[in-house]
Amino acid sequence: MNIIETKNLTKYYGDIRGIENLSLQVKKGEIFGFLGPNGAGKTTTIRTLLGLLKPTSGEAYILNKNIEEDIVEIRANVGYIPGELNLYEHLTGRQFLDYFSSLRETNLSLLDELLEIFELPLERKIKSYSRGMKQKMGIIQAFMDDPPVVIMDEPTSGLDPLLQQKFYEFLKSEKKKGRTMFFSSHILSEVDKICDRVAIIRDGKLVTLEDVETLKNKSGKIIKLKIKEDPSKFKGSKDMEIVNGWIEFVTSDDINYWIKEIAKFTVEDLKISDFSLEDIFIRYYKEGE
Amino acid sequence: MDDFGIKKILRFKIALQTIKDYWKITIILTLLFMGMTAMYAGMFPAFKDVLTEMLESGLAEGFSFFRGAEDMGSYVGFLNIELYQIFWIMILGIIFGFLSGAVIAKEIEGKTIDLLMSNPVSKKQIIFEKFIGFIPMIIMINIAVILTVFGVTIAIGENLDFGNVVLAHISSFPYFLSIIAIGILVSVVINEKMKAGIIMVALIVGMFIFESLSKMIPDYEAIGYISITHYYDPYNALKYGEIDAVGIIVLSVIVIWSLIIAMIYFENTDITV
Repeated sequence: MNIIETKNLTKYYGDIRGIENLSLQVKKGEIFGFLGPNGAGKTTTIRTLLGLLKPTSGEAYILNKNIEEDIVEIRANVGYIPGELNLYEHLTGRQFLDYFSSLRETNLSLLDELLEIFELPLERKIKSYSRGMKQKMGIIQAFMDDPPVVIMDEPTSGLDPLLQQKFYEFLKSEKKKGRTMFFSSHILSEVDKICDRVAIIRDGKLVTLEDVETLKNKSGKIIKLKIKEDPSKFKGSKDMEIVNGWIEFVTSDDINYWIKEIAKFTVEDLKISDFSLEDIFIRYYKEGE
Repeated sequence: MDDFGIKKILRFKIALQTIKDYWKITIILTLLFMGMTAMYAGMFPAFKDVLTEMLESGLAEGFSFFRGAEDMGSYVGFLNIELYQIFWIMILGIIFGFLSGAVIAKEIEGKTIDLLMSNPVSKKQIIFEKFIGFIPMIIMINIAVILTVFGVTIAIGENLDFGNVVLAHISSFPYFLSIIAIGILVSVVINEKMKAGIIMVALIVGMFIFESLSKMIPDYEAIGYISITHYYDPYNALKYGEIDAVGIIVLSVIVIWSLIIAMIYFENTDITV
């Protein structure tokens, strides 16, 4: 079942393209990574999904409800962490949570658990919170009423590495409970770590949408080697490069063939590695230029 | 779907928070207006003779753009000019205009609107509840000023029809509500709180000037009609116990249409942060 579905979703700000013909499906219970550098259209997509921006054309559905018709009902079932998180600074943490729980009107069944993981000085005014504390509050309010879907716009910004780790653990445990999560990020390593599938967008357009693992496998392996002989004598695949005496090239699955080729030389050093999401990402971005 | 929205609205959670947010300002304004009221009403015995002289010598003509200026020598007339025309219509009008002009703009400018709208609320509901949230402030200040006028009047031993005072205050409700409704409309169009607030101040001062000009220059009477101050007349209420029914209708229509236009505009506009 698709929890979030967009069909040719397009948003222009006047003449400026935000997103164009974006079609994607987020399945139930997955952590869906939404990857792109700043300005690629991630926030535009998310804010359109939540009814803060009106789509120029196309459609989108969350929990099978149309975002342009049933947005209030959608909001009742979707948690949201904005990319640019701004809280009511004049309230204390407690007052803020009270206000929001009164607007949610459901049981805040996860609140205690969240406050245990992400500790906060609730009696203090939010004005006095550090960036990390505010971000924790953003996380807490998004999950506290146990919504089936949570949409997060770069939620780890402002969290220190320790907290980031805690947050990843938390997301993984939430995934086990069957919660669907839409996770936008420009940090590849975290998407790699926690997401099941990933969509990469560039200039407002979807570049690829794939399983993280499939994407990495499909992209092949990187072979790096150093030989005693003249490196130019080695005939690698067509994208072979020689960098600081290292021969580097990419291969798909015929690893056996290359091992035999390499064996013809005197090998000083050899590295065979998977593509990281980062390499893939950079490759997709280079293609567009 | 509609039921869903209406049920939510009737719980008035955003309105309640708006009231809490403005609680301090409400108290401050209430005390300020009580103080001003006590001061001006209490000053009357000292000014009484001077005012009568001023009127006789024609000096009071400078006040002719206020309604009831010719009656400045009496207690009712004095209260009307000093308290109601200046502090009530003008100053409190400006304050409500400034506050309401900022009420939505500050959520957009401060970017808290994203979080607010992640709750199951509609844009219409935000507009309506923010409007409702101002009503307790109007009530508080009105009651405080009514009681102060009563107290001071008794203390200085002047004659005043207390029923008329209450009437003058009750009939100010549509006036203030229309300012707040216009303020909210400005607030959704202008997404910067200072700008929106200042535009509202300019609007109210501007309308006041139009209304004044229309009174001073006989041929320009018609331009007074575009001013909302034209539709609220505390003098007639204080002196004769009369209220302007047409004025109340006009102001109510302004309230309703300002809110409707604000809702339609807000619904159809992107919230860009």
